[in-house]
Amino acid sequence: MAHSHEALLRSPYVWHPICAREAWHLKQEIDAGAVFVAGGTLLRTQWEAGLVTFPAHLIDLSGIADMTGIGRSDEDGRGWRIGALATLAECRSHPGLAADFPLVKEAARVIAAPAVRNLATIGGNVLSRTGDMATALLALDAELLWLNDAGTHSEPLSAWLDREREGISGAPGLLLAILPSAFLGVSMISKTRRFCAFHKAGRREAFIPPVVNVALNVAFDEGGAVADIRIAAGGGTMIPARLAAAEALTLGRVPDAALLAALHAAVNEEYAPKPDPFVGEAYRRMTAANLVAAALWKAGSDARASGEEGEPCC
Amino acid sequence: MLLNRDTSGRRWRIRPDGPGKVTGELEYLTDLSLPNMLIGRVLRSPHPHAYIRSVDVSKALALPGVHAALTAKDVPGLNRFGIARPDYPVFCEDRVRFIGDAVAAVAAESDELAELALAAIEVDYEPLPVVDDPERAILGDSPLLYEEGNVFHRNGYKFGDIEAGFAAAAHIVEETYSTPRQMHTYMETEGGLFVPGEDGRLTAYSPTQHGFMDRMQLSRILAKPEEDIRVVSSPIGGSFGGKDELNVQPYGALLALATGRPVKLHNSRWESVRAGLKRHPMKITMKTGVDAYGRLVAHRAYVIADKGPYSTLGAEVLNFATEHVVGPYRFKAVDVDTVSAFTNNGMSGEFRGFGGNQAIFALEGQLDRLAALLGMDPWELRRRNLRRAEDPGPLGQPISVTGGAGQVWASLEGSALWRRRSEPPASAPSAPWLKRGIGAAYVMHAAGLGVGIPDPAGGRLQLRGDGKIEAFFGYEEFGQGLIASLMQMLIEMFGFAERDIVITIGDTDVVPDSGSTTASRATSMMWQSLRRLRGPFAGKLLEAASRALALPAETLAIGEDGIRGAKDGRLLLSYAALAGAAGQPIAAQTHFSYPTSPVDRVGAHYMYSYSAVAVEVEVNTLTGRVHVVDQYHAVAAGPVVNPQGYLGQIEGGSSMALGFALTEDAVMSGGHYLTKNLDTYLVPTIVEQNGAVTVDAIEELPEGDEHGPRGLGELGSVGLAPAIAEAVYQATGKRASKLPIDPALLQEPIRFN
Repeated sequence: MAHSHEALLRSPYVWHPICAREAWHLKQEIDAGAVFVAGGTLLRTQWEAGLVTFPAHLIDLSGIADMTGIGRSDEDGRGWRIGALATLAECRSHPGLAADFPLVKEAARVIAAPAVRNLATIGGNVLSRTGDMATALLALDAELLWLNDAGTHSEPLSAWLDREREGISGAPGLLLAILPSAFLGVSMISKTRRFCAFHKAGRREAFIPPVVNVALNVAFDEGGAVADIRIAAGGGTMIPARLAAAEALTLGRVPDAALLAALHAAVNEEYAPKPDPFVGEAYRRMTAANLVAAALWKAGSDARASGEEGEPCC
Repeated sequence: MLLNRDTSGRRWRIRPDGPGKVTGELEYLTDLSLPNMLIGRVLRSPHPHAYIRSVDVSKALALPGVHAALTAKDVPGLNRFGIARPDYPVFCEDRVRFIGDAVAAVAAESDELAELALAAIEVDYEPLPVVDDPERAILGDSPLLYEEGNVFHRNGYKFGDIEAGFAAAAHIVEETYSTPRQMHTYMETEGGLFVPGEDGRLTAYSPTQHGFMDRMQLSRILAKPEEDIRVVSSPIGGSFGGKDELNVQPYGALLALATGRPVKLHNSRWESVRAGLKRHPMKITMKTGVDAYGRLVAHRAYVIADKGPYSTLGAEVLNFATEHVVGPYRFKAVDVDTVSAFTNNGMSGEFRGFGGNQAIFALEGQLDRLAALLGMDPWELRRRNLRRAEDPGPLGQPISVTGGAGQVWASLEGSALWRRRSEPPASAPSAPWLKRGIGAAYVMHAAGLGVGIPDPAGGRLQLRGDGKIEAFFGYEEFGQGLIASLMQMLIEMFGFAERDIVITIGDTDVVPDSGSTTASRATSMMWQSLRRLRGPFAGKLLEAASRALALPAETLAIGEDGIRGAKDGRLLLSYAALAGAAGQPIAAQTHFSYPTSPVDRVGAHYMYSYSAVAVEVEVNTLTGRVHVVDQYHAVAAGPVVNPQGYLGQIEGGSSMALGFALTEDAVMSGGHYLTKNLDTYLVPTIVEQNGAVTVDAIEELPEGDEHGPRGLGELGSVGLAPAIAEAVYQATGKRASKLPIDPALLQEPIRFN
């Protein structure tokens, strides 16, 4: 018994790797007893709630320089690389990123509260699966850059979320960075009149997880018809997903009253929320449908108002 | 007078305890530590209702570093507490009745060891059927919490011919209103440091609203004379009624005495949610009739309150609701029936507003629904039925006469916010799914404990040897600005400078028993005390100064820094010099009781404050969420003692009402909390509260009024919720009779034209 007291009082062991590969090796060596920790803002709530047991080993990622920072991903300056350790506060205030990807900024703006955003990382929010960031990034065709025994490789965020939804859970490595699609940035394609919107409804106006969140990323052709569209939605405990049927419905059509009504019905049908003791399923469906339809309505009217030049609407 | 910084001029002072609180430097009682202290923890029941077959603490006691593990058999005195009726077990003996019930407590050398010790205690429970619905609890076939039945308390009030009234009514509204299990959500959770002295005394540094009540209750539990217990109880990081009853004190005191070492307890937020008091959830069914002219002819109300397992002040809260469902209106006939039911849900108890919040939400809802049926302006309907200044109180009892009822009615009627209702909107809403509406509500709220309940008041002033004027009161500072208000009164009523004054509160060894800091009574009782003390204390000071200076007392005056010439204001004798010259202490003390109505009805009140609240809301029909954009509060509560404190009470109270109306509910299922922490129990943030708040403070009182400033501490927490419900109706055409308002009720599918 005395030994376990001592162990209790000394735990956890905290490891401080200085590069991603070292962090990954530590995790492999210690295995189930070890947990990566970055901001720790979500983990501590899970420990406090008893949802997960407090680990014997923490692998602190905060000293790994190449997982931090937000910057251009290539020399011709088209893409962005968001380090997994970039804080939500950084994502919220980075001027270049915000100019190209207002969806990322807007999602970061409405997550938690300032003190949490100063600690919490974008990587942690995405890997939580149910935060706001994954929904926004789905509408940007973002890729995840993983490190594992095989080296580094990237895969679409949607592919990883699909596996999670099917219950094949667990990250396939250490998440190094997030790469939104260079082709979907607002500034890249202003001539096609691209608009985006992120909306969140919670049980309170701020400092609240999403009951429903939706992200819209849409481009109109010169006739005002939808040329390209991504609609993603999440909230509650559901894993965010693209709404493919709703997207398909809108392609090539002008967002008039008939299309918006059809879109409303399609989202209501396709969106697959999970109720909890506080908010029922019908409310969640209606909210998602309303928010998506309102967002496309607003994008359409903004497109008409702005003429040739596209502007972000969020 | 519109009350704000500009209109307050030089009366707008920096509160003495402000900088420490704003910077976080202030040390609260739960911040205190001692080098050799132990950590105390309480083992609580995992079952909402169960027999206890056995409790075995031997394995916990065997752990190294664990110094005590106590159960019911270790309580030397009364194993019960409760302000009104001591039926709350310190430790349950053979039965638990809710998931906050204590079975054992431990003291150990660290928090982790204390937690291990709790896990090592073996308790054998036999679960019992859970009573989780107060309406079902009082039916004949319900499982019982007590052999005597689940009805904890009943009350009622009736006059007039109710059936004749309904028969004569042109319109009748019947509705059932439900209110949430609201949590006080003080920033500082319950806790304290309990220190045994070498002289055999025990000091409890632990927040409470009435140190002497805690001392008496601890004395009863510990079987120890009250004089051997010292309760230090301020400063407090918020209470709102939630710390008036004992919470961790019995465990801290017992553990400290058992171990002979200081013991600290401090509830986590989780434990605070589980064990702490909440506002009584009430279901209020009303049937109210009105004639064609709009006269209220009949009013029937049935209130059922969810008591939880033990009494605390549940009977008093129900009595208060019984009084306030009648409110400020001249009904021709009234029939009120109220009942409070024991359940295995969380403990309900005292909470700012004290049953008035629930009652007024229902009553004002009836007035608004009747106005709509009559096609009448809802404020006009209130005017036609409003009490006159000389009318008796809601229970027919004599009450102190003020014009407050009419004054706040007129103030709201003339307010820019209310006038905006009949004007076309200044600008179109920014999106078609945003809808705006304006509503108002009327509040008549009692203060003091009422007839038949001891309600002492008083205080002491003393010139200290170092020349400081020391004011002693038994009241507590829990954020409401009590110290600032007392300071301001001492400056304005006596002429002292702030630097002359020392305020001593919250320590049973040195303060007089001024009664509880509750029921909106402290500021008015301090004002009364100082009014009584002004003559005697100033007289003694001037008499001593007259002797020391060899000058006639009438040529002298009390002023800043010392005794001054009455005519020229020149400083003649500092207070330090006066103290030295006097040779003996100069002091004055007063003791009296809160004024009560001369009737034989327990709990009936004598002193009332009035307010009228108008609010504008914006409803987002995409999500059904409500945002309050503007508030107007007309308040008639006598003179403004401290402008900041007055505003703070109204704004702070309204923020609690906002949560009551829109976001807050401690949800339970089968006797267990589903909202275990502040991630699901949702208090409003600054974003919910970013609308404007305007306060009109009506100070005028009838000539010859003896009572001065009225109670203000609860008033602001009452009227906003019914005003919001009406504003939501005006915006959406939908009536919310259940709080918090469910966004699903207000949500509509988006439509495009």
